[in-house]
Amino acid sequence: MRNAIIVILLLLTTGCSLQQHSNNQLANQLLHENPEKILSILQEDTPNERDFAQYHLNLGYLQLLSGEFIPAIESLTQAKQKMQSLNATSISENIGAGTVNETLRSYSGYPSDRVMVHNMLALSYLFNQDIEGARVEMLQADIAMKKLAEDKSLVGQLASTHLLSAIVYELLDERSNAFISYQLAEEILTERKMAVPEGIKIALLRMSDKMGNDQAYTRLSKKYPQSVQKSYSGKQIFSLYFDGVVSNKRQESLTVPSFSGRQIIRISMPAYPKVNYNLQRIKITDDIQNVSSEVIENIENLAREDLAHDYPEILLATTTRATIKYAAVKAADKKDPLLGAVFNILSVISEVADLRSWNMLPSTIQFSYLQSNSNNIVISSLNSQDNNLDISEANQHIILSSSLSNNLFHYQQ
Amino acid sequence: MKIKSGFWVALTASLLLSACSTSVERLDAQEQIDLSGAWNDTDSQLVAREMVEDALSRPWISKFVNAKGKEPVVIVGRIKNLSHEHINTNTFIANIERELINSGEVQFVASANARQEIRDERADQDLNATESTRKEMGQEFGADYMMQGQINTIVDLDGTTQVRFYQVNLELISIQDNRKVWIGEKKIKKLIKNSKIRQ
Repeated sequence: MRNAIIVILLLLTTGCSLQQHSNNQLANQLLHENPEKILSILQEDTPNERDFAQYHLNLGYLQLLSGEFIPAIESLTQAKQKMQSLNATSISENIGAGTVNETLRSYSGYPSDRVMVHNMLALSYLFNQDIEGARVEMLQADIAMKKLAEDKSLVGQLASTHLLSAIVYELLDERSNAFISYQLAEEILTERKMAVPEGIKIALLRMSDKMGNDQAYTRLSKKYPQSVQKSYSGKQIFSLYFDGVVSNKRQESLTVPSFSGRQIIRISMPAYPKVNYNLQRIKITDDIQNVSSEVIENIENLAREDLAHDYPEILLATTTRATIKYAAVKAADKKDPLLGAVFNILSVISEVADLRSWNMLPSTIQFSYLQSNSNNIVISSLNSQDNNLDISEANQHIILSSSLSNNLFHYQQ
Repeated sequence: MKIKSGFWVALTASLLLSACSTSVERLDAQEQIDLSGAWNDTDSQLVAREMVEDALSRPWISKFVNAKGKEPVVIVGRIKNLSHEHINTNTFIANIERELINSGEVQFVASANARQEIRDERADQDLNATESTRKEMGQEFGADYMMQGQINTIVDLDGTTQVRFYQVNLELISIQDNRKVWIGEKKIKKLIKNSKIRQ
């Protein structure tokens, strides 16, 4: 009986780490295989109940990149609802995480995941020709960001979300809301010490001009003199570009003998490797102009920021767990040295770091804006073939492209 | 001893299985059930009933009847969802339509989509139906008023507590001259407290 329990526990813990390993491998494969292929592999998998949110976040993102917008909405909505339901604390999961390892806790998403899910949902609604659905997601994202807001911290505050909100509002001709959202995107970028993309500078000038807010227009003209345009009319092309795949977490472990030498103590913490990402941009050209995409969201940095935010809590839980395991092994050793040794092996094997994250997201989200009188534009990047797009039928266009495939998604009105 | 342990295993297994099984209970459609605090069927029915009651109790209707000698013909147009929830406005529109028709005080015409389907059927009858049963084109009832509106929300939150404020605005517009003859407003405020502990 005792042996059976030991085997089950071993299987449980190795099962969790194997699942994490295969998920991370699949995310790495995204750089070499198209999203449709990775999606089909992921769909064959049945997620552990504790990994439900992580699985559906990745699934929904891949469905979006594959142009399966309705399934993407379903998957991402499930992930969103699961993360919301996991806001409350579970006593049984805390006991599991406090005595075995962190993977026994359900994945409830990092602050950025909780906001980013609305971005991906909004894009899925938009390319499914439902701009009002996209607007709902942007309002929910605003609530999510307010919930996560902390003094002097930018955790869970995404410039890309404000930008997407602004674009949706602008398309719905809600000028004041659009202007506020462009301003919020600019504020976050400035606080993060990132360059404000040219498209946002032009948008701030355009919206203040359209609203007739002369004071704001004069102030912004002085702030961004290079971005002042003669006219803000013409076809509008808002382009979003997903570049790369965000890094996976890795485990960093420390194994030491106890003071008496009778036990082995191990602690494992999640960590991100040094950023190894080469930024690629896309270019959009019409007959006359040529604009390059600029970073609006650096997800590599966001992921590290999220982990750093949670780090003190993870460290406290890990050291507390090490103390509990030490006491349990010591008590077992007193009863029976063989049992103590088996417990010690188990405590070491079961000590794995939680490496789960929304690890199929792009490394960066980039934005570019073009105002054009042409009927055709060309979207080109280093990795994929040029995409020609007919923009003759409407005045406002949102396009989404990715470094992972040649798919180009287009919303026009 | 073996039989005894077998009994306990079977009992535990059956308890576990019963905990996992799906249960279904039929409920009265009028019963008020709030699970998440989001806009639901109860809100939709309640708002539709109260707003239609309000609309039909105002002087525009008696003025119209006195002037024209017939009940006004109404159509429900677009109701925009400007809230932070994915609200199916079609069910809300259906509730308003039902309340308006059942009041017996106004006449009602089908929506644009439904009208097109009926026109297609009439066109088909024109070719295929017998003379005695064929329905002619150009006999439609033109609406006098269109009802339009929007659903807005304001959300205030603090930790696990949320106050959701819904405001539904409807207006009745004269199709002939764009006059607004009635503006209605219904507000719903919900206090939602989420548990800090889960299973």
